[in-house]
Amino acid sequence: MRRRAGESILIGEDIEIQILHIGESRIKIGITAPKSVPVTMKEVKLVGEENLAAAQLHSVAALRTMLDRLIDGPTGGEK
Amino acid sequence: MVFPDGIPAFEQEKRFLAMRQPISEPLVFLQSVTHPDVCFATLPAPAACPGYRLNVTPEDLHALGFKRGRQPEIGRDVLCLAILSLTENAPPTVNLLEPIVINIGTLRGRQAIQRDSSYSHREVLPLRGAACS
Repeated sequence: MRRRAGESILIGEDIEIQILHIGESRIKIGITAPKSVPVTMKEVKLVGEENLAAAQLHSVAALRTMLDRLIDGPTGGEK
Repeated sequence: MVFPDGIPAFEQEKRFLAMRQPISEPLVFLQSVTHPDVCFATLPAPAACPGYRLNVTPEDLHALGFKRGRQPEIGRDVLCLAILSLTENAPPTVNLLEPIVINIGTLRGRQAIQRDSSYSHREVLPLRGAACS
């Protein structure tokens, strides 16, 4: 399927994807979808999976192991 | 600290506390105020990777209250925390590609999803020398 700026794609009855602007390295698209359909960038879903996995840790033993393996280093002025 | 959009997969968690304890230096724990069982172990990105450089997207800069076009300075403008992951029988990894960035002036935070970055979401610790630069 080939589309130009200003043209649209329909998915089913309720979802429309419109090509708004085509730039040199990125395009701007507009998405119209029912509220029940989540619209997210794929990266966000992948980051969410990483976050879910990261939230699983926190047994004391696991943290000890991690601390033992960690680098020593400057903390960059964090507080 | 307020995270207006939460973080991916934890969109309902809008407020977090950052905690450090001498016994667990240099770790920083990010704990949800509303669900204290939601807690992330993080490392300040410069502690995981000296010389760490941010490359926050214009959208994320705007959401954090910064002008587009200039990267915030870690330690002065923002805190930058990399989430740690621990899997059994594998070295711990740290997410330097998508760090938690907190505006020090407003305490507004967000997980920055960086493009055009040379860092990985699973940098293996400990990082040595130029492994992450």
